[in-house]
Amino acid sequence: MKTVEDLNFYELLEVASDASPFEVHQAYKEMYQLYHNDSLASYSFFSREEREEILAKLDEAYSTLMDERSRSRYDQLLIESGILQKEMQYHKDRKKLSLMSDAKRPRSNTALRIRDRLKPIVSSNPTIQEILTHDVLSGEDLKKIRDELGVSLEEIAEIVKVRMVYLQAIENDQFEKTPSRIFLKGFLRAYAQCIGLDADIVANRYLKRMHD
Amino acid sequence: MPHIWPIGGGKGGTGKSFLTSNIGILLARQGFKTLLIDADLGTPNLHTIIGLPNPEISLSDFLNKKVATLEETVLEMPIHNLFLISGAGNKLDISNLAHEQKMKMLRAISRLDYDYILLDLGAGTSFNTIDFFTLSDSGIFVCIPEPTSIENIYRLIRSVYVRKIRQVLRIDRFRSLAEKAEAQDQDAIIHHPEYLLNMLKHIDPEQGSKIERILKAFQFKLVLNQVRRQDSPRIGALICKIVEKHLGMRIQFIGNVSFDERVHEAVCRKESFVEKYSYSQATLDLKVVIKRMTGMTEEQAVALSAPTFT
Repeated sequence: MKTVEDLNFYELLEVASDASPFEVHQAYKEMYQLYHNDSLASYSFFSREEREEILAKLDEAYSTLMDERSRSRYDQLLIESGILQKEMQYHKDRKKLSLMSDAKRPRSNTALRIRDRLKPIVSSNPTIQEILTHDVLSGEDLKKIRDELGVSLEEIAEIVKVRMVYLQAIENDQFEKTPSRIFLKGFLRAYAQCIGLDADIVANRYLKRMHD
Repeated sequence: MPHIWPIGGGKGGTGKSFLTSNIGILLARQGFKTLLIDADLGTPNLHTIIGLPNPEISLSDFLNKKVATLEETVLEMPIHNLFLISGAGNKLDISNLAHEQKMKMLRAISRLDYDYILLDLGAGTSFNTIDFFTLSDSGIFVCIPEPTSIENIYRLIRSVYVRKIRQVLRIDRFRSLAEKAEAQDQDAIIHHPEYLLNMLKHIDPEQGSKIERILKAFQFKLVLNQVRRQDSPRIGALICKIVEKHLGMRIQFIGNVSFDERVHEAVCRKESFVEKYSYSQATLDLKVVIKRMTGMTEEQAVALSAPTFT
């Protein structure tokens, strides 16, 4: 087990070494939630000094990895010490920063790439897995999953080409604002596929509530 | 070999007895021969929660040699497959258990023949609570989403982990390593599992890694109980992340159990909550917990919802 001092910036933020700046930013937000002074989840675990040390290191990790040049210098240090392989570095051209910038590419390829990136997170995130055991899914459940994955509704709307008002109605369980059932099922399937979930399961479990 | 699950919570009022009894009922309904043991020696409650206010025999009857075997203290419950060893009649001084009596009790528990044995532990981190975790490689921690409970659960988890490390260090082949660690830092042996592990690996990397592998095989689980709508559903998973990352201890978050006002009513009436409110969110949540605790399939967990009346 490594102490905080021994963790490199990628390990501290729990991101891959080729994580995009968007991913680094999301990871920093998550870690900050876990370690900040008022965090309930880590209450009492650390002394004041330990917590300050961790937060300082998180800030350092964030500022280093978000700046292209400082990240490159940092990666070089890791490569020289054998911790990082050169081909595992982030390259701006190889990996797009966010879902939005992928939208200029053909939709099917973009959607597949995003889905492939989110699927491992879906299967390893305990909160998402817990929600997926529910027999019936609510709009709030879908929103929670989306929050866990750090994906905005605007991004999903852009990818699946569904109007925001309908996606919002789905997440807010405003059935009167959603289109007819056949369209709703299609939107649900697209929404689910976009974020790496099983389309049939999500659609069927959401629609069960409409039977009631 | 029974699955033995000590269920501890650090702080009182987190719902250990409620969870122990209702998980036990659901397991028994599924056909598993399930024994509940009230291991909260000084302040037993399990008999009340399970609906048996005046049991005829208790754990202390075995400890005081009123009966010869622990099996003779087992009470058959009205629910088929469910059994109870109560603490209702425990003597007032039972909390000051002599070491030999405690070892006698632990040995007797380990020889019982059931599919599942759930131990409802007392609050706090005394040896009388912690030592029950030496009975198996499993354990469940119960916490509510309040800072007081979270603070106590971290203390309990650390205490249990230290206890388990010391249990492993008693194994013959690790004794000399334990002595070297003690010579270097006695404080780590007693209080700091995270430093202790690193120290052991530093002194002897091969042995230290073996110990780390043994510790990683332990199946510790966390349940977040009494979760209200306004509480973040992520707290439990984040607590486990902290424990894994900073204690080096493997722990799995197995579910949130929703707060339900009707629990209070069920306890006051001494009725089983999961039987009376089998379609409540809290009951559904408990089935998810059991599924993750036992590794049963989704179909088996769903089948727990069908009450079978005997």
